[in-house]
Amino acid sequence: MKPDPIDDFLAKAAAPPPDAATVRAGVERAQSAVLGDLRPVRPLGSPVRSALLFLAAFAAIAVLAGLILGPHGFHVLSALQRVLIFSALCVAAAVAALACTRAMRPASGASLSFPSLLLAAVGFPVLFAFLFAGYNTLHFVHEGIPCLVAGLCVSIPTCLLLLPLLRRGFVLDRRQAALACGTLAGLAGLAMLEIHCPNLRAIHVMVWHVAVVLVSAVLAWAIARLAW
Amino acid sequence: MPDLESLMCGYQQADEAAAQLFIERVSPLLLRYFLVQPNNRRFADDLLQDTWMRIHKARHTWRRGEPVLPWIFAIARYTSLDSWRKSRRLESREIQVEELPERSASTSSSRAPDLDAMLAVLPASQREVILLLKVSGLSIEEVARATASTAGSVRQKAHRAYRTLRALLRGKNVEA
Repeated sequence: MKPDPIDDFLAKAAAPPPDAATVRAGVERAQSAVLGDLRPVRPLGSPVRSALLFLAAFAAIAVLAGLILGPHGFHVLSALQRVLIFSALCVAAAVAALACTRAMRPASGASLSFPSLLLAAVGFPVLFAFLFAGYNTLHFVHEGIPCLVAGLCVSIPTCLLLLPLLRRGFVLDRRQAALACGTLAGLAGLAMLEIHCPNLRAIHVMVWHVAVVLVSAVLAWAIARLAW
Repeated sequence: MPDLESLMCGYQQADEAAAQLFIERVSPLLLRYFLVQPNNRRFADDLLQDTWMRIHKARHTWRRGEPVLPWIFAIARYTSLDSWRKSRRLESREIQVEELPERSASTSSSRAPDLDAMLAVLPASQREVILLLKVSGLSIEEVARATASTAGSVRQKAHRAYRTLRALLRGKNVEA
């Protein structure tokens, strides 16, 4: 940055350091509090390892829930649909897992919580519009509500299961952490629906399946906002 | 003299001398960061203690090879933000009194009003960037890490803040 008259002003205005007595008192108080509880700690593993843990939890829950409810949806998908949908789910979950990892480490880079939600909320409807047909709204709500409920029944416990992983670190911004966690949990619900739900009407998949991600993320964020 | 990174490593390994020295080296930086913010000035000492408690709880999240100061200031920033949220909640429950109590002398200083008045004009995000860059002496990349932002965004905020401050300073000089 180029030198500027404002630099000079800021340097002069903010120059006086805190007086020595204030600093001494602060240091002594901090030392007595910290040194009294000094134990060795093992540094958290690499961010990649943490992200893989989140990703493994997501995949395990989604596949397990899908298999328990029955993989009817998986059987009716074509090979191309399977490859594109599950690859997209892996990418979106990887971004959400990275967002969770960043949320649990101070100063780990720009927050990815909102971009990960945006990616899922915009990317999946576009992908589904490309892969599926059928915009008939007959029984739209009647068929959609059970999918939304089933998705949330997976995403809410997933969110609770992801919390202990998040607590291994130190969360500074709980709202961002909740948003990232809610998005990843919502993606687990969406993945379960792609394995289980045999309804391939575009409008149904675009609205009700993607709604699981949105509701899960917004719910987690709202709870964090109310609590803190 | 050991650098902050090796002191932080010692702190993680429960080396008492390293932890002691680390607190001695970092506390003045933190105190200065809190004192320069008008909203935090009165509570600077409490904020310092609160920040140390958080640093202590979070010390396992720092990894060797990463810069220490952005990690410290990210924690300090949220300590200050949480304190502000808490005081805002308390203020909303306060009962109005007939007369305002006298302000303590320690809340203002001779150099404060000008800087305070000028910084008050800036949006919170720009003010924060300017304080971290100019008062705490962090680099643009370090500020980006501390504020969970990108270097480009920090540069843009600093540029906008500079433009506003420059115009204000020019106005003040003309008045004088």
